[in-house]
Amino acid sequence: MNGNHQNVGVPGLPLFSVSNLVPKDIDYTGEESDRLEGGKKPKIIVVDDEALIAETVVEILNQEGFAAISASSGASAIELAKVVHPAIILSDVIMPGLNGIEMGIKIREIVPTCKVILFSGQAATVDLLERARKQGYRFEILAKPIRPEHLIQVVRSSLPSH
Amino acid sequence: MNMLVSGGALLLASVAFFAFDLITFRANLVTNTSTQAQIIGSNAVSPLIFNDAKSAESTLSALRASQHITYAGVYTAARGFLAGYWRDQPSQPPPLPTSEETQHQFSYFGKGQFSLVQSIVFQGQPVGFVYIQSDLGAINDRFRSYGIILLIILIASLAAALTLSRISQRSVTRPILTLADTARFVSRQKDYSVRAPMPRERDEVAFLVDAFNEMLLEIETRDSALQESEEQFRTLADSIPQLAWMANADGDLTWYNHRWYEYTGTTPEQMAGWGWQSVQDPQILPAVLKKWRESLSKGEPFEMIFPLRAADGSFRKFLTLARPLRDHRGHVVRWFGTNTDITEQLLAEEALRQTEKLAATGRLAASIAHEINNPLEAVTNLVYLARKQPSKVDDYLKLADRELDRIAQITKNTLGFYRDSVSPTKVNISEVLEEVLALYARKLQFKKISLHSEYGAGIEIFGYPGEIRQVFANLIANAIEALPEQGSLAVRATAAKSRNGNDQPGVRITFLDTGSGIAPADRRKIFEPFYTTKKDVGTGLGLWLTQSLVEKHKGSLRLRSSVKPGKTWTAFSVFLPDHPPPDYEVSPVPKL
Repeated sequence: MNGNHQNVGVPGLPLFSVSNLVPKDIDYTGEESDRLEGGKKPKIIVVDDEALIAETVVEILNQEGFAAISASSGASAIELAKVVHPAIILSDVIMPGLNGIEMGIKIREIVPTCKVILFSGQAATVDLLERARKQGYRFEILAKPIRPEHLIQVVRSSLPSH
Repeated sequence: MNMLVSGGALLLASVAFFAFDLITFRANLVTNTSTQAQIIGSNAVSPLIFNDAKSAESTLSALRASQHITYAGVYTAARGFLAGYWRDQPSQPPPLPTSEETQHQFSYFGKGQFSLVQSIVFQGQPVGFVYIQSDLGAINDRFRSYGIILLIILIASLAAALTLSRISQRSVTRPILTLADTARFVSRQKDYSVRAPMPRERDEVAFLVDAFNEMLLEIETRDSALQESEEQFRTLADSIPQLAWMANADGDLTWYNHRWYEYTGTTPEQMAGWGWQSVQDPQILPAVLKKWRESLSKGEPFEMIFPLRAADGSFRKFLTLARPLRDHRGHVVRWFGTNTDITEQLLAEEALRQTEKLAATGRLAASIAHEINNPLEAVTNLVYLARKQPSKVDDYLKLADRELDRIAQITKNTLGFYRDSVSPTKVNISEVLEEVLALYARKLQFKKISLHSEYGAGIEIFGYPGEIRQVFANLIANAIEALPEQGSLAVRATAAKSRNGNDQPGVRITFLDTGSGIAPADRRKIFEPFYTTKKDVGTGLGLWLTQSLVEKHKGSLRLRSSVKPGKTWTAFSVFLPDHPPPDYEVSPVPKL
């Protein structure tokens, strides 16, 4: 198990970072981004401290016609969301620093229309979700491992156009 | 006694009086006779001068008044007989006794009679002699009358003394004798309710009797208080669920409570002294005897767990405690002991241990699920992508392969927790530590905990690998739990010797965390079952189980901690002996 998940790239896959992870065909800044909101390519941020998971999910979603980018922690996802205004946040729950639920609550404050979909491999997550529910937040949760076909289906059905 | 003393005194006084009287009487006799001789002498002057025997006779006849004078005679200067007087028949006049001394008078006491010779002097010239013989009838008479008087006085005195002593006995001796009888009765019958009768008179004896009765009352009060307290003790001892007993200073058991006889199905005769050995497990008995004798000789409390045979022949485990009772000089006078049946408790504890082991395994499985689900997620995604993009298949499969290795490693490490050997085997301590630390690597990373590990490769001991793994996992999990973000954890294993005095070789593994430390008040409690500081996640059984697993290996678990502000830390040290002692296989559960 490798220690530092934040800066490690995955061999064989393009190395993403906040500066270069934006797909070339989308202008995420300024008026252009506002114009594109609700456009043909829905923006998704994928958050997981395991870079390999985040990046494979991003690749799968991009192949399906979404504009997905990865983040390796809750904090960097929030920074990204401020700029990107994503339609969907797809996030792991148990992560160092902010957990997926705390992050989801913060992002909903910034982008109220954003859907938060969580995925987790741990049972402890149930307690965290229960706590969020008491605060008035309902998040959808998927259990790891998720079949990519199922993930795509869930993401599609969460989009506002549906 | 009284009689003897008074009789003797009286007799002595009588003899003294009698002797004095005898001497006086003799002197009186001499004086009287001498006076009579002088009177006769002066009256016989003229008859002597005129050789007138008739006048001399008439002078002599005046002696008839003196009963005791048997003979009197007047003799001439030439010692010739002139006239005589005989009280009885006149006979041959006796010759005048002579004396070598030239005295006017001489006298002597002869056989039954007294003789006196008085010379008669006229105008300075001796003219004759008077010779008087007197029998001692006077003295004898006097003696007789004195004797009679003395006898009467003696008898009267003795009678009086007897009466007096009777009276005094009634008022002094009798109450004292009664008192002595009462004392004898009390000490023989142990009946303190009797009282000595009070004498009629309020004298010293009455005071004595009064004091004696008061003492009896005091003893009776104490005796009944003692009996009552003994009664209470026995009632209490018979109503407790424990078996209880008493022994003397030599260790002979003198009393058992009702429960003892009920449980063992024995009789007091069978159990007297050291009879309790018959309800012991013969295999454990020598150890029990050794420990009991040790306690007896040192006078130190006895504590041991051993089985006792029940009436039906089965054995149950008892916690036996005994304490010495000492007198004011500190000598042991008695031992009090109890045997508490802890069979159920031991079984419950063992059941709890097993449950907790399973629960710990379950908790571990949950965290392992996460470890496996993550690489599994990655593999699923990679397979999907490989299918979609055949050109990149090799890259995706290489990544998938790496993730599968990760899964394999995790399952291999995890399985160690499930596998548990039936008998002790060689355990490589550093390998076990490596595996456990690998399992917690992710948690350590989450909290950005820096790990300092220091252990040689070849440290091996004999034991149960699964249990040793569990011990390490519990201690590491606790340390991670206690650590704040960016804290540090040091794990060190070194060859060491036990500190319990027998210098057994083994290994000491220390887990040091820079967490908040454990307050002194909690240090003992944390090893108790169900004690937890993390109510929502912990069962409070982790350290208790850890401790019992270490003890099963005949090792020891030591805790040191500091709560000094700015310098807080906690260190758990596990010592495990190289080779467990022969009785290693003895399980903590009683074999019933």
